[in-house]
Amino acid sequence: MSLILQVFLAFVRIGAMVFGGAYAAIPIVEREVVDMQGWMTYAEFMDLLALDEITPGPILINSATFVGMRVAGIPGAIAATLGCITVPMIVALALFFVFRRYKDTPLVQSVMTSLKCMAVALIASTMLKLGVAAIAPEAPSIDVVYSVYVCAVIAVAFYLMHVRHLGPLPVMLGCGALNLLVAWLVF
Amino acid sequence: MDNTTEQSSLATRLAALFISTFTISCTANSGYAILAVMKDDFVNKRKWLTEAEMTDYIAIVQSSPGPMAVTSSTIIGYHVAGIAGTFAAVLGVILPPFLVMVLVTLFYEVIVGNPYVTLFLRGMQMGVVAMLFDVIMGLFRSATDKERAYPFVVMALAFAYVRFAGASIVWLVVACIVAGVVKALLVKHKEDQR
Repeated sequence: MSLILQVFLAFVRIGAMVFGGAYAAIPIVEREVVDMQGWMTYAEFMDLLALDEITPGPILINSATFVGMRVAGIPGAIAATLGCITVPMIVALALFFVFRRYKDTPLVQSVMTSLKCMAVALIASTMLKLGVAAIAPEAPSIDVVYSVYVCAVIAVAFYLMHVRHLGPLPVMLGCGALNLLVAWLVF
Repeated sequence: MDNTTEQSSLATRLAALFISTFTISCTANSGYAILAVMKDDFVNKRKWLTEAEMTDYIAIVQSSPGPMAVTSSTIIGYHVAGIAGTFAAVLGVILPPFLVMVLVTLFYEVIVGNPYVTLFLRGMQMGVVAMLFDVIMGLFRSATDKERAYPFVVMALAFAYVRFAGASIVWLVVACIVAGVVKALLVKHKEDQR
């Protein structure tokens, strides 16, 4: 029971801190679940990120269900999922009642800008960690050919999403399929 | 008599809300895609709310923490059918990812034990790095729009905190909110002096 409560409270905290879109959930979950609670290894967290992309719905809900399930089974999954939507629902309803006709005030805009900057910093930090883990999985020893290959895949994937505006799902699936093919042909 | 029609129409609206958000959640993945589909369904097709109301609600949704799918369902559900509507709409949105993820987790050990799946996931992780970079570029642009040094200072400090200081980011959130309030007050003070 106390574990379920712990899971619930951890995800209440996580839900309250996710500002700046769906992907802002990634660094928050990483900090709380991997670093602080130790409920998941970094390798599992990286698997979760890949799974997030091929499953429907918001990343935060996917992550909550996955973590809750791994920590305490179905009751854990329910506790985590309900936990992460608690604060967002309360804040959204509170704002709705306070500002039926909502106008962005300079104050709200200024706070949102700060929180967006925070999201940039948090996501950048997670991206660096993920990038290093992807480029040099056996660190500190480095296989140069493999590292160059990973960098090339990342660069092409970025080009497809950022310049050609392809959705993340086809790009992710393409990366997965490409890696299978390359591993089969080369490594 | 009136009471029963009222109740049946509430039940119909709740069912419609649940079915709509459930369907949307099954098909759309990102927050903005979900908002676009909701707008098309609720404003254009069902006429539950007007375009102006939707615009107001989107502003509220963007100022709330958490996934936009959840916060928009919360508000639109309330608009359509009160607090029961909120729960019907939110339940619809969270059920598909919940059910799929429960299944994925049940088979996780089997899935991840397979070397082909591992290679596929590894490839996808390279894509995740690229996607995060794409997300950062978008957020960076929207945070630095019409601003000067302020966002860069906040980003640098937040990044330094995350990399070199404590693991919890609760204080970072609080500090950012305080910084945002202080900055807004300073700007206002400057304008008043003119």
